[in-house]
Amino acid sequence: MKVTIKILLLLFICSLSVSAQIQSLAKHAQMNIDCKSCHVCDTPTKADPCLILCPRYKLEVVRHSPDEGPDHIIIDKIKVEKDLYKPVQFSHRLHSEMSLMSGGCSSCHHFNPPGNIVECSECHEPNRARTDLSKPDLKGAYHRQCMDCHYSWDAKVECADCHELNSSETESVRLEAMPSKSHPKVKEPEKIVYETGSDEGDLVTFFHNEHISLFNLECTDCHSNESCAQCHSQKEKVERPILADAHENCSACHDTEDDCTSCHMEMERAPFNHFKSSGFSLKKYHSDVSCISCHTAGGGFTGLNKNCISCHNFEDEDFDHGVTGLTLDDIHIENECADCHTETVYSKVSCDTCHDEDITYPASLPGTKK
Amino acid sequence: MSQNRRDFLKTVAAIGTSAGALSALSPNKVKAKSPENLSEERMGVLVDATVCIGCRKCEWACRGAHDIENGNIQDYADEKVFETNRRPDYDNLTIVNRYESSDEKLSNVKLQCMHCDHPACVSACIVGAISKKKNGSVVWDTDMCIGCRYCMVACPFQIPAFEYHKALDPKIVKCDFCDERTMEGKLPACTAICPVEALTYGKREDLLIEAKRRFKNNPDRYYQHIFGEHEIGGTSWLYIADKDLAGTVFPKLDNRTAPGVSESIQHGLFAYFVPPVAVYALLGGIMWLTKDKKKTEGK
Amino acid sequence: MEHPHKPTPLTKKFFTPWVIVLAAIALNGILFLLARFVFGIGAVTNLDNQYPWGIWIGLDVAAGVALAAGGFTTAAIGHIMHNDKYESIIRPALLTALLGYTFVAVSVMVDLGRWYYIWHPIIMWNGNSALFEVGICVMIYLTVLYIEFLPIVTERFIGRVNLPGILSRFNKLVNTFLIKLDKGLDKTMFIFIIAGVVLSCLHQSSLGTLMIIAGPKMHPLWQTPILPLLFLLSAIAVGFPMVIMESLTASRSFGLKPETEVLNSLSRFIAPLLGIYLIAKIGDMVIRETFVYLSELNSTTILFGIEVVIGVIVPLRMFMSPAVRESTKGLYIASMLVIFGIVMNRFNNFITAYNPPYALDSYMPSIGEISVTLGFIAIEILLYRLFVKIFPVISIPAKKSLSKTKFAIRGAAK
Repeated sequence: MKVTIKILLLLFICSLSVSAQIQSLAKHAQMNIDCKSCHVCDTPTKADPCLILCPRYKLEVVRHSPDEGPDHIIIDKIKVEKDLYKPVQFSHRLHSEMSLMSGGCSSCHHFNPPGNIVECSECHEPNRARTDLSKPDLKGAYHRQCMDCHYSWDAKVECADCHELNSSETESVRLEAMPSKSHPKVKEPEKIVYETGSDEGDLVTFFHNEHISLFNLECTDCHSNESCAQCHSQKEKVERPILADAHENCSACHDTEDDCTSCHMEMERAPFNHFKSSGFSLKKYHSDVSCISCHTAGGGFTGLNKNCISCHNFEDEDFDHGVTGLTLDDIHIENECADCHTETVYSKVSCDTCHDEDITYPASLPGTKK
Repeated sequence: MSQNRRDFLKTVAAIGTSAGALSALSPNKVKAKSPENLSEERMGVLVDATVCIGCRKCEWACRGAHDIENGNIQDYADEKVFETNRRPDYDNLTIVNRYESSDEKLSNVKLQCMHCDHPACVSACIVGAISKKKNGSVVWDTDMCIGCRYCMVACPFQIPAFEYHKALDPKIVKCDFCDERTMEGKLPACTAICPVEALTYGKREDLLIEAKRRFKNNPDRYYQHIFGEHEIGGTSWLYIADKDLAGTVFPKLDNRTAPGVSESIQHGLFAYFVPPVAVYALLGGIMWLTKDKKKTEGK
Repeated sequence: MEHPHKPTPLTKKFFTPWVIVLAAIALNGILFLLARFVFGIGAVTNLDNQYPWGIWIGLDVAAGVALAAGGFTTAAIGHIMHNDKYESIIRPALLTALLGYTFVAVSVMVDLGRWYYIWHPIIMWNGNSALFEVGICVMIYLTVLYIEFLPIVTERFIGRVNLPGILSRFNKLVNTFLIKLDKGLDKTMFIFIIAGVVLSCLHQSSLGTLMIIAGPKMHPLWQTPILPLLFLLSAIAVGFPMVIMESLTASRSFGLKPETEVLNSLSRFIAPLLGIYLIAKIGDMVIRETFVYLSELNSTTILFGIEVVIGVIVPLRMFMSPAVRESTKGLYIASMLVIFGIVMNRFNNFITAYNPPYALDSYMPSIGEISVTLGFIAIEILLYRLFVKIFPVISIPAKKSLSKTKFAIRGAAK
């Protein structure tokens, strides 16, 4: 009897561990990762997972959005007898936001297994005197995380920039008040003129402001693989690296294969002007409208005409004529659109449908103008 | 007249023999003898110049560990010192210099005694006060030192400093690899304080492996050469950087040990005292022969 | 054969205007020397961590040892090869060597930071160190030189011991002791004479080994593994010119007739010796292809040029000419050039060639260093003058005529 119980118990334990293995295996399997990314041996078990020692170079890292991470982190893992400094307050959100323009999370969370976030101290030992020299100790790891970038941007980084002296009288900066919670607004360039040396036309005038304000592009739409030093550099000016494919960032929207001359010119081009290029002024009513709300057909920006109804559907009863700047009075508001706008060009108005010749637009108004 | 000629020939013979004894010790033939067997367990430090941020905390800690007035640690943030190319001195056994060139990134390099595997100073010291210990450190006994400064002449890195300002009891000073601290099981002061762990303390052979691992994993970050692996027969302190340090930070040195040539000459000259005794015997022979001849001539 | 010349204490008065000038220089040196011991090496010299050795080592010690080579070269030719005619120059050369080495030792002591431990090498040995070898050899050689000089002292005092006051009762005893010492020395002197030559060969060459360990810090024009050989050859070459220079200076200063015949025959050796040295030096340069450095014109190559051309090649040519050898003036100038060349060589080896890797500016000796060096030279000359007045060192012609001397030398020839 006892033996049977024992066997049963053993079987139970075995099945548990096997199922656990299968479960975790299933999780891993979903992620489509080569086993050898983490394990040295062919059949890792729970007892002996035979993990590759940190750092695991081939590891794939799952990206999170900056919103998913914490806003701030207090770094207080290193304690010595006489702490010279207070714990460091690290603006995680700011850093994660900016990281999207370059390496992303993995530029700091290196060798992080998928799914969960591993703390530095899990791999980096707190003791400097140690046998495994392949990775720095915790203090070194922390400092390198910060200084690898901050020092290369500005050699004049001082301890006090991050560390507050323990002896200092001033109250610790409240986390919420930290100015660096979000990255300060970047002063973006208005336009950049590239001298390409191309036969098609030397100069390419790039209006950075238009791409942001007019085309509503996000920074990361173009700046996805940048070095932080591009902006944060100790040197006056860092030359941008020449892209292997100069059209890399443009070709997503522009036809860089066949249409050269719309960008490459012999002279600097003027800022984008919808009236000049299409004859249709956006000035009055369309200045706040995004391009694609009219240019709905994917890819092309042609094919629209000046007729309002090519975009607007005025059949709706609830058209508020007030948006045009002219609020119709009680009499005229009952009219059909075509009663006054006899042609499809809505800027033209004809009053003779109802009135005599002596009443003309705009001498007499069908309402009040703003 | 002819006597003169004969005398001269004899002189030439005598000189020739002694010169022969000298030239017989062509340095390539004699293998450089190391002062002692190098221990496999000898320690070292890997200096990663790409990591160093030039905070000079190591200078502060080093002074503290050697009873040199070190002042306030905050004052070491002063970067004005980087304007001059400093050298270790009696009151500063290690220094960090900043090397800047127009086309390259700046780099900070900490300098101190390299603790050579075949130290020139150990070979040179007239009283044998300097020694290479099993743990890799090159240390010295001040009580033996006579202040001849030959170690300074010999050192390829120009490291030992001398207290020129003292009339009485001036000392030779240099980095001692924190011998006292390491004996107690502590880390050398500079490696313990370094905030970025630009200094990795460990067994020299492990450090070489680690340096090569870094080269492999970050090929763009490094100039693929470990300064000190082979230079002048190897040093305990090893340097890696983003550029070649030889010729700028360090002198250009070949891989032969620093005291090699000098020691082979020295040992050749005194090989079991055979050459001196031989010259003595030869001169004695000449003296006896000429004396004999004089007598017979006189008769 | 009777000695045509007999060493006698000179009776000429000690003080002359030149002596007073020398005394002033000596005093100046001593003042700086005092400053060195009171305020430290740093206060008096331009030495620093880049340039640990200056002219106190390069000139006072290295050149001093080389110029004292007359002692062993004359001992070799006179005593070991039994050329009796050179007897008359052995004693002055011995005295020069004695004073030279004494001052080498003093200079070393002045330069040592912890000079009161100068005795350490006697009990603390480092066989790998060239400096240890030099130190020990110089110490032993200095002892040997003093022993070699003892017979001159005994000769001076035997039968003339005259202790003052109450000590006079020991006069006889001391006299007997001196006689016994003299006899003992006479029997064993050959041991010391040979030892002196061997020791000289050893440390003259080891002095060359000294700078080899500086490796690439030394300019390739001078840095060569055969430095010890070059040092030995050049020391041997400078020995006789030094003796000639001294002898001529002394004769002039004391109003004696120069021993032209002896010096002339001695000078025959110089050209071959210089030639061997030059061949070794140039040959080494050709083999190691260091002549490429001569293409650039800077202070280093100029100093090399001066050392080799003015210091070796010109006097070599001069000593090859019998006309020069037979004229007192020619001999003097040529000898001075050789001495200059060797001093330059030692200076270049220890100072010009030494380029520490991190030095921002090069070493220039300070006024203090120069004063001490000049002071030592002055004191040496003054002591030489004093010694030749006390001890029978310089041979003055016996009553026989000079032509007879000539005959005597010819008679010895076969």
